[in-house]
Amino acid sequence: STSSVLSAEKDESTASKTSTNEVASESKEGKAETPKQKLLNLIGDMKVEMSYSKKLKQLKTRDSKKQATNNLKGLDGEGTVHQRSTEDIQRGKPLNPELVEAASAVASSLPLNKKQTESELLAQLRRHEEITDKQKKGTTVDLRNVLSEMAIKKQSRAQRGVRISNRISLDLDEDIQNKSGIPSFISKRYFCCVLSQQNLKVGRRLNIFTKASTEKAALETASPPTIWDLEFAKEVAAVTAQPPRNGFEEMIQWTKEGILWEFPIDNEAGMEEDAEFHEHIFLEKHLENFPKKGPIRHFMELVICGLSKNPYLSVKQKIEHIEWFQNYFEEKKEFLQEI
Amino acid sequence: MAAAVLSWAVRAARQVLPSYCTSQVRGYYVDWRMLRDVKRRKLAYEYADQRLRINAIRKNTILPKELQEVADKEIAALPRDSCPVRIRNRCVLTSRPRGVKRRWRLSRIVFRHFADHAQMSGIQRAMW
Repeated sequence: STSSVLSAEKDESTASKTSTNEVASESKEGKAETPKQKLLNLIGDMKVEMSYSKKLKQLKTRDSKKQATNNLKGLDGEGTVHQRSTEDIQRGKPLNPELVEAASAVASSLPLNKKQTESELLAQLRRHEEITDKQKKGTTVDLRNVLSEMAIKKQSRAQRGVRISNRISLDLDEDIQNKSGIPSFISKRYFCCVLSQQNLKVGRRLNIFTKASTEKAALETASPPTIWDLEFAKEVAAVTAQPPRNGFEEMIQWTKEGILWEFPIDNEAGMEEDAEFHEHIFLEKHLENFPKKGPIRHFMELVICGLSKNPYLSVKQKIEHIEWFQNYFEEKKEFLQEI
Repeated sequence: MAAAVLSWAVRAARQVLPSYCTSQVRGYYVDWRMLRDVKRRKLAYEYADQRLRINAIRKNTILPKELQEVADKEIAALPRDSCPVRIRNRCVLTSRPRGVKRRWRLSRIVFRHFADHAQMSGIQRAMW
């Protein structure tokens, strides 16, 4: 019915707009026009601003309100409408009386339940004004309101879940006690935990506790663990290590020790990640300290050629190799100059 | 010096593994020759890089010969046990120097013993 209401309003607004285009410029202040046209213009303007999320929120609130109305209508009669209208007025900023008149006129024009549509329209307008006020102020705490309003539904769901899980727990307790002999208090505790989890998430946030975002405990003053700590840790591990009960645990132990590879097999398991290929191959930059000409340079270029083709050494080892030669030749410099 | 060598040898002979496992672990080498072989292997590992580099200078046609002679003297000055040639692939269980198959590191007698008792994986008596 809500979607039909919206569609009806849309058609009327388009029809009215085409007919009163010239008057629209004057009627933005909106006193000379009929309240109906003014309302339709307003709704048309509003539609441009409204987003999908807001529509959803409004639909949800309308649904909750509908449920409330359905519950109340059984008890009371027309008095509920007046009560709710007063509630609406009391809640937030009081609506424009012109808007109220316009809403009543629209409701009377539409074929559906007049009072319901009127209340819905008023609620929509009120919410829109609330949202605009909040956005002007800069506070966007709508989620909390929405959540609190939606909490009505959530509680019922949670309660339903509680009832169901209660039933389930009772059934299972009987089975468990009879068959496997597991003590019932364990299962009950599990279900209590489940239930408590559901009940904890329900309800409005009180914001008593601030989030511990950067509250890390101060690290120990002795940052590297002492040898005694390491020994103690080793002792504890050795004492608590049970022999493997089955093949799986044995394989886990072997993987931890390094005897067994990790699956899926990583082809680059033992390889180093720091050096790129160009650091392995282009080693001429390390030859800067050597003389540019002569047999030593020739020799070192051959060394570098061999190192670049070596896949088994790391970059550090290759650099160490070259540096060793550097040191060696520096020690022999005097000797070489005699020659 | 003899006392130092003795103490070192005693320590090497009585190597208890530094773990807390409760099962009995044998910490003795089969004989002293095996121990000496172990020493040689360790030293060869330590001096491997150095020997490689000095040999690279020696076995060279580009560098001057005087430099190569100096390198010869240097490599001769290294400890004798550091050369890999002195390592002998002994049997791991009996320390037998001859008749050792490299793949299993066992002498022929031990290998045969285990194979006949079906304790060698994938080994079968040949028949064709």
